[in-house]
Amino acid sequence: MDKTVETAAYPHNEANAQPSRTYYSTHPADLHYIGVNVPCQNACPAFTNVPAYIRCLFEDRNARSYDLNRIANLFPGVLGRICSRPCETKCRHGEPELGKSVGICHLKRSAADFGDTAVAPKQPTRNPQGKNVCIIGAGPAGLAAGYDLAIAGFQVTILEALSEAGGMLRYGIPEFRLPRDVLAKEIQWVLDHGMTLRTGVRVGRDVYLDDLLHAYDAVLMAAGCYVSKPLEVQGEDLPGVYTGLRFVMDIASGKAPSLGNNVLVIGAGFTAFDCARLALRYGASNVSICLRATEHDLRVADEEIFETKREGIKILGLMASNRIIGVDRLEAVEFLRTRPTELLPNGKRKVAPIQQSEFVVPCDTAIVAIGQGAEPLPGPGDKDRRGVIRIDTRTFRSSVPRLYGAGDYTTGPTTVIEAIASGRRAAQRIVENLAGSRTTQWAVKIEDANITDRERSWDYIQREEMPTIMPVQARMVAPTNEVDQGFSPEQTREESKRCYLCYLHYEIDMARCIYCRYCIDVAPRDCIKLVKSVVLNEVGAVVGFEETKIWRHVNAVIIDNARCIRCGECVRVCPVDCISVSKVELVQQTIPCGGTNGS
Amino acid sequence: MARERCVIIGNGPAANAAAVALRQETSELDIMMIGEETFPHYRPHLLPAYVAGAISKEDLFVTPPSFYEKCNIRIRLGQRVVQVKLDQRELVLSHKEIVPFDALIIACGGRQRIPERLQIFEELLLTLKTPADAQRWIEGLKSAETILIVGGDLTSLSFATAIVSAGKRVTFMLDEESFWPLPLSRDLADDVKQRLTRKGVEIIEASCIKRLTRKSEDVIEVDTDTGLIASNLVGAFYGLIPNVKFLVRSGLDVERGVLVDENLRTRFDLVYAAGDCAQIYHPELRDYWVSIGYRNAMEQGKIAAQNLSGGMISIAAPPASIFCAEGVMVNTSWWMEF
Amino acid sequence: MPTVDVTVEVCGMAGDGTIAAGAMINEALSRGGFSVLGFDSYPAEIRGFGRCVTRSRIGSETIVAMGTDTHVLISLNETEAKSRISFLAPRSVVIFENNPPTYVHHDASFVAELPPDKLLYGMPLSDLAAEAAGTPRGRNLTALGGFAAICGVSPDLFISVVESKFKTKGEKILSSNLKSFEAGYTYALREFSDKKGDAIQFPELPHNDRMVMLSGNQAIGMAALDAGLKLYFGYPITPATPIMEFLASTLPKQGGRVVQMEDEISSIGAVLGSFYAGARSMTATSGPGFSLMTELITHGVMAEIPAVIIDAQRGGPATGLPTKTEQSDLHAAVFGGPGDSARIVIAPTNVSECYHYTIKSFQLAEKYQTPVIVLTDFYLDNRVENLVMPLASEAETRNANVSPTGSEGGNYKRYQITESGISPRALPGMEGYIFTATGLEHTEKGSPDYSPEVHTAMSEKRHKKIAGALVDLPKPEVFFVEDRLDVGVIGWGSTFGSVLEAVRAVREKGCRVGALKITSLSPLHASLIQEFMERCNKTLIPELNYEGQLANLIGHLHHGSVVRLNLVTGSPFPPSLIIRKIEDLIDRGDI
Repeated sequence: MDKTVETAAYPHNEANAQPSRTYYSTHPADLHYIGVNVPCQNACPAFTNVPAYIRCLFEDRNARSYDLNRIANLFPGVLGRICSRPCETKCRHGEPELGKSVGICHLKRSAADFGDTAVAPKQPTRNPQGKNVCIIGAGPAGLAAGYDLAIAGFQVTILEALSEAGGMLRYGIPEFRLPRDVLAKEIQWVLDHGMTLRTGVRVGRDVYLDDLLHAYDAVLMAAGCYVSKPLEVQGEDLPGVYTGLRFVMDIASGKAPSLGNNVLVIGAGFTAFDCARLALRYGASNVSICLRATEHDLRVADEEIFETKREGIKILGLMASNRIIGVDRLEAVEFLRTRPTELLPNGKRKVAPIQQSEFVVPCDTAIVAIGQGAEPLPGPGDKDRRGVIRIDTRTFRSSVPRLYGAGDYTTGPTTVIEAIASGRRAAQRIVENLAGSRTTQWAVKIEDANITDRERSWDYIQREEMPTIMPVQARMVAPTNEVDQGFSPEQTREESKRCYLCYLHYEIDMARCIYCRYCIDVAPRDCIKLVKSVVLNEVGAVVGFEETKIWRHVNAVIIDNARCIRCGECVRVCPVDCISVSKVELVQQTIPCGGTNGS
Repeated sequence: MARERCVIIGNGPAANAAAVALRQETSELDIMMIGEETFPHYRPHLLPAYVAGAISKEDLFVTPPSFYEKCNIRIRLGQRVVQVKLDQRELVLSHKEIVPFDALIIACGGRQRIPERLQIFEELLLTLKTPADAQRWIEGLKSAETILIVGGDLTSLSFATAIVSAGKRVTFMLDEESFWPLPLSRDLADDVKQRLTRKGVEIIEASCIKRLTRKSEDVIEVDTDTGLIASNLVGAFYGLIPNVKFLVRSGLDVERGVLVDENLRTRFDLVYAAGDCAQIYHPELRDYWVSIGYRNAMEQGKIAAQNLSGGMISIAAPPASIFCAEGVMVNTSWWMEF
Repeated sequence: MPTVDVTVEVCGMAGDGTIAAGAMINEALSRGGFSVLGFDSYPAEIRGFGRCVTRSRIGSETIVAMGTDTHVLISLNETEAKSRISFLAPRSVVIFENNPPTYVHHDASFVAELPPDKLLYGMPLSDLAAEAAGTPRGRNLTALGGFAAICGVSPDLFISVVESKFKTKGEKILSSNLKSFEAGYTYALREFSDKKGDAIQFPELPHNDRMVMLSGNQAIGMAALDAGLKLYFGYPITPATPIMEFLASTLPKQGGRVVQMEDEISSIGAVLGSFYAGARSMTATSGPGFSLMTELITHGVMAEIPAVIIDAQRGGPATGLPTKTEQSDLHAAVFGGPGDSARIVIAPTNVSECYHYTIKSFQLAEKYQTPVIVLTDFYLDNRVENLVMPLASEAETRNANVSPTGSEGGNYKRYQITESGISPRALPGMEGYIFTATGLEHTEKGSPDYSPEVHTAMSEKRHKKIAGALVDLPKPEVFFVEDRLDVGVIGWGSTFGSVLEAVRAVREKGCRVGALKITSLSPLHASLIQEFMERCNKTLIPELNYEGQLANLIGHLHHGSVVRLNLVTGSPFPPSLIIRKIEDLIDRGDI
């Protein structure tokens, strides 16, 4: 194991008063282990240290909680409102028998609401390198990349085609979900690290890629996906039919849309839901979202689906648009019924339209939000069949030296947090290529810990509900009123108690275990196992257990940390005190100039 | 060698019809019914009369336990299926029991629909779907004088008239949610108004409910856009929706209900759905349809069982007098009876 | 007021708090004014391992026997509870954990095995306890809370029991237990409000704090203390050990001593020695130990020395079935030992009699200068009943020794032949009264003598003395007196309770049946017993032994009518079997 002992630059948990040993490891088995032990952090594309920031909220250290977020994901106030929450899907508390996941996203917002967010920008970690980088696109990917490059000592210029920075954050997500001022403040903090932002500059019209490649040491394409996918049905260009992207962007730019009363939104993604809720706020009274599959296949969070229905929007399923009907303008949409077929491993549901099942739904506005793609740009490099430059998603490189890509532009539409993570990883690649070494690396930090002070009764606390503007009619008074009100300090504290603090790792020392099995008797679930052998993978990580009921074959009593809910009952009951507790977190280490990470 | 097992989820008209029909087809199959409620099989359409005191508890229940013993049908009451794992052909009960099955008939029925807007007031609303609900009504009616009915569905109409004949003052509120999924047309509103008023029920028209508040131990205040209404009890009759949330991650196709074809067959081998929980695509109708009503349920239960045993019977397409709204066809052949 | 007769069982694994829960049910319902009879079942290994089942029969009228049916089953461990399913009465209540830590396959599932008529009340016991008290350890109390809510028992009864039990253990433990109980109560009240009235309900009776729960062994121990016991000698043996343990912690406080001897032979020797010197003493043992004592018991008979011996019967022969109940030492108690050695044998039938007969045994021993054997059995020893705390009067506990009058004129004869057979007894060291006491046959003065006249006269004297004890011994008691009975049932020991319940039940159907309780087994009140038997067309004698030991003793009194009913299952005699046999005898028509 690659161990480094360091008195942590990372602040100690004040609850651990005694001096503790701390190890840092980059061994693949330990990195694999984070996935098992801390599923939330592992699920976050940016590896936000979720248990740590939730623990800080519990300890009333709101500023620190905010800071821990910002270190990983840069925009806690923004993400705390609009993140797609891959962490919550994996949260251990959300497993079937254990209840609902922790409100990780809502707590992130609490950190932003209550923490002192007026903090000075971070100091650069390296001296000016004398190199300059141009980033195309000031969306989440571009801004995130700019941040990493700036603190690595590079001169960063961001070119943004629209009039303000933020990308989809500014132009795609409605204000009632993400207030302008929250966004502006966090963008400004990123920009304050020393980058030049030039708005209203469109690559391919105002400047050209070839020129940029001459002028800069590296160019990063982070232009996002702003080309709406068409339905490709007859009548698509009739007046009254909008693309979802155009709809939200017009509103975001201050142009009120012209809407009828009966609106059909065709699409199943985040944009479709935003369009439907905006339509209500801009005058429509009868809004329906039309899905090809069913509402159970949606990626949108359950809370949002509930609010959408509560606002009176209907969600209709199993309908595929076939034809748009109208003479001079939109009059109705014809659909075919669909039948669900297979469920793909990525969660996407395939459907098959049913022949001869046409039916017509009258409407006066249709908003088509079925997806977006990257815009092809003139310039060098290998392109795909649509003309968009091809980027290797591992190396972030194109076929052209010094030309990189990050975010949705390279992958197709994803989510904000994925874009941020992509931008940061791309920046590290650029740093490595231009300066010879990365500035950061991920390592597993392991230190002794005390048994949790969490109480078993906290495991039964119900998930806090986000307060929203009620009654629903009050939300429509002004279309930009933020619907979610944020947790109160009491709610924040209660919700933070629900986190099991999965960074704690409980282990039985088999040299001292007397096989009394009291720990198994008090275990709340099948988390402590009688094991014949463990199964290791090729890097030496434990990936399975061979359990046995035959006493003679039992070689060890093992706590399966994938099942453990860190309740501490085993530690309390062990008569020989052979169960140790340690804290295992994924942390980002700064690599000083010179390449290696100390010794 | 262990017998093959068919599990029937439910204990309503569809489930019981399916169990009986299945036993008639074969004596070899291990038939297990799993019902969420602790009450034995009851006639749901008689609940209003039961609440009003017009019939006794014995009249409400259909099948005595000895019947199941005689037919060698295993019936498990008060046990809830929380998960179906289609790949492993297992289902999981709420007390963490894993039950393997070879064939499955889902007949778990519908549950009372409460519109999302009103869900935070759910504690103040009384529904009438189960005998347990009926008990609550009976308790409440001991001291209540005024009853407000909001929403509007088939049950509400017979309920309103039953309670009025028991001497209570009943007010029926017609709002935009009434008779979902049917849009409340002027004609329908007038028709209902006329019929109910003739039976002694008072009608209020409002366009929507904003809020409910408990003013005192026996008074609830309903805030609508046309004014405030106070009442001892408020009954919510917003119709039924299929009770299929627990099936969402099972691998089965679920939209409003369990998706089946005109033979009540799902996409999966030996898995059927029948009754209020089934969403049937009928090629004659060329659309999906969720039926309501115990007669439909019984017929579907029987057909599902027969098809499971190798039959190929199609459910008859619903008659022309059906309602189409919100993308769903609603068979309300019983509508005519009111 | 509705009557109620409900058997409540708690079943769990060792460590689940099963026994504690059962004890709390007994105490709470006793305070609630009910009659309570509790009997736990033990695995062969008494502690630490295996299944525990507590059974409590609770009634609004006095409960005299344990039934076989269970009406409420509280499961603390579903794997163990599976073994109890066959005892469930129709529509009985089953309370169980419905959120266990692991999944259970259908084939191994407790819930799946329950027949459809049972009323299921699943509760997340561990979660409720953990949520309320921070630890799932109080889940047995959570289950009791559920039971109280479901069956309409006032929660205050349990709360007062919990407070009494835990008040000395500190505020934290008391509070944790109360919270666990209340969590179960509140949950059940809310969750099962729909099913109100389905489950059997306990009526509200006037509360009664004066009753205490006592086991047979406790009653015996307390009686010994109240009788002024000075010395206890014994050797541990199931089921008599609790008597020694009880006295070890209480007897020294009143100036007495408990000595664990090396075996039962020395134990009885020491008891004889103690009584010989004038101090009350006692030993308690079971069949195998008793048999070791027999020679010295006959020494007591021959030398006319008092002794009190408790024989707590268990399954035999030999080491037999240590944790099972049986009534098979009767022959050994009455006849055991060499020679014609008549002695007094009495057998209590319930906890109250355990107390009072033990008290009485000291006076009987002293007055009749003989070993007195008190026969109990595992069931009677370990079962608990609620009763008003028994207290003996001064008259019952005073020394009953027949002392010399002082008119012997220096010619004291220790074994003087008298009208009653009782010779006034001097104690060693009494001035002017020197004597010999010996296990050899002896003259009136006590000198060994083997002549035919002496042995004949002394045998007669000794037997006459014991026969004379009939006046002081509890007479057989008749229940339901009638001129003519179709069936008369005779019972002794703990079986009598089952007899009484059976006879009552059959009488309710209009049959002419009566019962006779025999508590003095040696000497027997033969004429009274014979008189009863002659009034019966058939005499039924149920016993927990194979050979019909009481039937052997009294069968000759009315030979043709005796029907034996023998059971050696190791469990208390089920009243239902007696009922069936009585009905069978009546139906067969050969009456």
